Amino acid sequence: MTKRNIIAFALLIALVFTGCAKSSGTPAGSDQAAQNTASSGTESVLKLAASTDITTMDAHRTTNDYIVPMNVFDTLFSIVKNDDGSTQIVNSLAESYDISDDGKTYHFTLRDGVTFSDGTPLTAQDVKFTFERILTLPESAQTDFAIAIDGAQELLDGNADSLRGIAVEDDRNFTITLAEPFAGFIASLATPSTIIYSEKIVTEAGDDFGVVPEKTIGTGPYIIKEWNKGNSLIFEYNPNYWGEEPSAKRVEVTVMEPQVMNMAFQKGDLDIIDCLMLDSAIVDSTYKTDAYKDKIVSIDRMGMNFFIMNENVEPMGDVQVRKAIQCAIDRESILSSIYEGDGKLEDGIYPTGCIGYSNENQGWLKYDPDAAKQLLADAGYADGFDMEICLDSSAIDAVKNSVQVIAQNLNDVGIRATIRTIDHASFLDHRNSGEMSSYMALWILDFNDPDNIIYTFFGSEDNAKLRSSNYHDTQVMDRVAAAKTIVDENERNSEYAALEKKLVQDDAVWVPMFSVKHLFVKSDRVEKFIPHWAGWSDIYFAQITLK
Amino acid sequence: MKKENRQKSEHEFLRAFLQNKAAVISTVIILLIIILSVLAPFLTRYDETGQDLLNRLMPPGNGHIFGTDELGRDVFTRVFYGTRVSLLIGLFPTVLAVAVGTVAGVCAAHFKGAADFIIMRLADVMLSIPGMLLAMVVLYTLGGSLTSVIISLILMEWGGIAVVVRSAALEIQECEYVTAAASIGAGKLWIILRHILPNLLPTLIVLFTLNIPSSILSESSLSFLGIGIQPPQVSLGLMTGTSRQYLFSSPHLVLAPAVMILLLVLSFNFLGDALRDILDPERKTL
Amino acid sequence: MKMLSKRLIGVIIVLIGVIALVFVMLRVIPGDPASVLLNEHVSQENIDRLTQSMGLDKSLPEQFVDYLGHAVRGDLGQSYFFKQPVTALILEAFPYTLKLTLLSIIFAWTLGIISGVISAMYNEKFLDYIFRPAALLGISVPVFIVALFLQYLFYFRFSLLPLTYDTSLLSLIMPAIALGWNSAGSVARLMRSNLMEQLGAPYMDTALAKGLLYKKAVLVHALRNAAVPVISMMALQLSGMLSGAVITESIFSIPGLGKLALGAIQTRDMPLLQGTVIFTALLIAIGNIVADVLATILNPKIRQESNR
Repeated sequence: MTKRNIIAFALLIALVFTGCAKSSGTPAGSDQAAQNTASSGTESVLKLAASTDITTMDAHRTTNDYIVPMNVFDTLFSIVKNDDGSTQIVNSLAESYDISDDGKTYHFTLRDGVTFSDGTPLTAQDVKFTFERILTLPESAQTDFAIAIDGAQELLDGNADSLRGIAVEDDRNFTITLAEPFAGFIASLATPSTIIYSEKIVTEAGDDFGVVPEKTIGTGPYIIKEWNKGNSLIFEYNPNYWGEEPSAKRVEVTVMEPQVMNMAFQKGDLDIIDCLMLDSAIVDSTYKTDAYKDKIVSIDRMGMNFFIMNENVEPMGDVQVRKAIQCAIDRESILSSIYEGDGKLEDGIYPTGCIGYSNENQGWLKYDPDAAKQLLADAGYADGFDMEICLDSSAIDAVKNSVQVIAQNLNDVGIRATIRTIDHASFLDHRNSGEMSSYMALWILDFNDPDNIIYTFFGSEDNAKLRSSNYHDTQVMDRVAAAKTIVDENERNSEYAALEKKLVQDDAVWVPMFSVKHLFVKSDRVEKFIPHWAGWSDIYFAQITLK
Repeated sequence: MKKENRQKSEHEFLRAFLQNKAAVISTVIILLIIILSVLAPFLTRYDETGQDLLNRLMPPGNGHIFGTDELGRDVFTRVFYGTRVSLLIGLFPTVLAVAVGTVAGVCAAHFKGAADFIIMRLADVMLSIPGMLLAMVVLYTLGGSLTSVIISLILMEWGGIAVVVRSAALEIQECEYVTAAASIGAGKLWIILRHILPNLLPTLIVLFTLNIPSSILSESSLSFLGIGIQPPQVSLGLMTGTSRQYLFSSPHLVLAPAVMILLLVLSFNFLGDALRDILDPERKTL
Repeated sequence: MKMLSKRLIGVIIVLIGVIALVFVMLRVIPGDPASVLLNEHVSQENIDRLTQSMGLDKSLPEQFVDYLGHAVRGDLGQSYFFKQPVTALILEAFPYTLKLTLLSIIFAWTLGIISGVISAMYNEKFLDYIFRPAALLGISVPVFIVALFLQYLFYFRFSLLPLTYDTSLLSLIMPAIALGWNSAGSVARLMRSNLMEQLGAPYMDTALAKGLLYKKAVLVHALRNAAVPVISMMALQLSGMLSGAVITESIFSIPGLGKLALGAIQTRDMPLLQGTVIFTALLIAIGNIVADVLATILNPKIRQESNR
């Protein structure tokens, strides 16, 4: 019996240790490899953090995970923010373009000598291929960005083999013809949604494209080296890049919980921290201090929060009730407490800085709980009513807190508002079904054009349903769709202004809330950092200069 | 313990219990916490959801014993209201899980054969899925709320209880007085009610006491993932989970609920241990 | 060996049960991957197209039969998002979880056994009063609190260990402690009570009478017998550890199974989630068998009983 026991113990111990040795064998190897590459240029390694991992590197399969598309690929144009807050479109892969008088035909010339990081040259055919792929990939998420092109609908529906709206003239020249004029078209070619792929590379990679780093090859300033799912993304600069060589030679983006980021940044293990991940009070007490205040980089986010009410859910179908809710929410307190005042109140549809924004409507919406009660009483709801506010459980803390304040505000005027928190996927599904009764939404511009926001929410009955606003006035929605195609700039802007007033002030379709400043803090090692022009959390690494 | 004379055993139990220091102290602490959380509305002049945005994240003092949280709510008040919910989460699903587990375990032991096989394989299935994954699936299906947390905790716990109850019940069935009762023609239901269940009681009490703390801890893990109890409702787990980023700037936000969890869980564990020592000194079943 | 084959059949039945249960449960979860993919930029057309391309429009029994047929051959389908076979993704993530759990088991057992033994040998003395509450403390703290505390202490205060996983074994120390903390408490308690029992057993008196020193007697005889139930506990702990791994892995950014499952459920990547749950069930089943076999080898008495 004793002998048997000893053998068993030896067995057990051997089991544990061989398991251990086996498992520690692999990381030791990769550990060494990681150290070797890192030691080649330790000074120029940029360390960043993200709160969630990406699900794909292929921009056509996501509308969310843009970190790889933004840095490994290029768009035809890019957007630069001027010091006065306006934006400007500059050439990227396109060298020049001109527009026909009817605003429908665009002629482009590609920059000379651009190659993908593996040496494959960029041609006009690649542009055509990219837009055809957007329309034919079964799980494409970006069809909105190609649908304006002539013949796009036929290709999407499977009634055509190629995209007739794009005509390739030679390797560098091509024309794009739109079905209808669209003033925002060039701007839409400057978002990560329309990055240019190589036909050869994508076709050869097949299903591996956007999944396997070595096969996800672009023309951008960086090459994606590793994607360690759930852990990190490793980028290295592209030596074949057509533009200026980026300052950071290697970029490591690690997935971290917000409180972990905070620790890592304070210890100097992160070069940039995104303050929206943290409570503004922590930002205030930790970073708006003498030690860090010169390191804060701030950008006015071109986007806004708003509170959407579902007209199909009684009694929010009553415009008086919606107006009461507009008066009941104390936007100013939310902005000044939860966001520490880093932002400004918005009163319309187009956020500050967006083309079409005017400050004429500013200040018409005032927090006035008494007026809210009066409006409710007039509408026959003196005793209030029950209401549900939905909250996405993956939202940042500031949004969660804001929603709790909104609920409190509504209760203060007699509306018995309760919060229902649901996870991200269910939230989206519920919202898309058109049955969500109310929620706080956020829209940040993809490209600087009023159409980007107003069409998304009020362009069609389908869109109004997908946002659970179920806005009723089809005439207004037709006008929204038509405004897109107005060629004359002044005429277009005044139509957008009229639509904004009608929707927000007359029909009280939503409660505009505020646009916020997006703060980042940079480490001592960072000389200069320019965030994304619209204030996205995703950043262009090339816009960072290391000391 | 397995004596028919229950009067005497109850008396013995009480004496042993009072002699066990750990048991007495932890019972006192638990009762104290229960009383305090029941009386919570009288202990504080604040409302557990009442916001005060101008005074958010205040340090302890200034009329707020534990300070205020990210929306200016009084943390002291919230800790006791949170304790109510956490106690509910500790007790309610455990009662149901023990009930389900007992019925399943006793049936399996008593009817043997196919019933035994099916019930035990079902328990095995539940036990083969890590509790957290099972709870995640349930909570994503039903949406995070008190009810769905309770349902997922019952699903997580009944299997383990059934396994223990089954083996305890098997042992009791072998006992002379049970076989004797069966031989004089006592009905099956009678045997279960009169003989098996009363003798299972010590096992069940210990199982019950030890499952309470694990329920409370599981809830806190689910809240950490953001899928447990949802605001504005409050539980201790949720308070610790959501305030984790304030660990440096306002440590009281994390510490107050965390210490309360610790106190509760520790007391129940001590009590469970002590009860096991008293009720089942030879550790036949547990 | 008859027992082993009986157990294996049991495992297969349980696994089929797990697959059926998971399959049904995952179909009733609201939310679909198409919405997640499209996120804010939805249009009705795109939702319809995506749903179709993911094969989500087939009937439930059809999907189940398809799935079971492939699962038997080790093919757990393809992930919606990663466009890779689920089996490959799981095998990629598994080594990390394996390393993490092995390290934390080593930690839990070392700490648990040592403190359990000390507690038992100095029963009701000073050291016992230190170690016994410490063990209870171990099982009374939520995993994430331990993790945060460790990060604060070892990274932020004293800069001893890396904050998150960076492929080095060193960076697994904190996660392993956080994960093993609860188990260490359980091991210590079980060890203490078993050892106490063994110390009171008649053979101890014999050993002492034979002139063996008390400490040596404890080490040679009592400890060995007391360890048997602790080994049986291994299987139970495995399930708990895989649960805890979900949390530990997200705090420390370890690309293991827990994180994979969490990501899969958040994005409704059903093939991936199904695969992970089934795979962990398989692991637990194997753990159970190994524990049973070990317990049988170590303690011949069990072989005759073989209750279940």
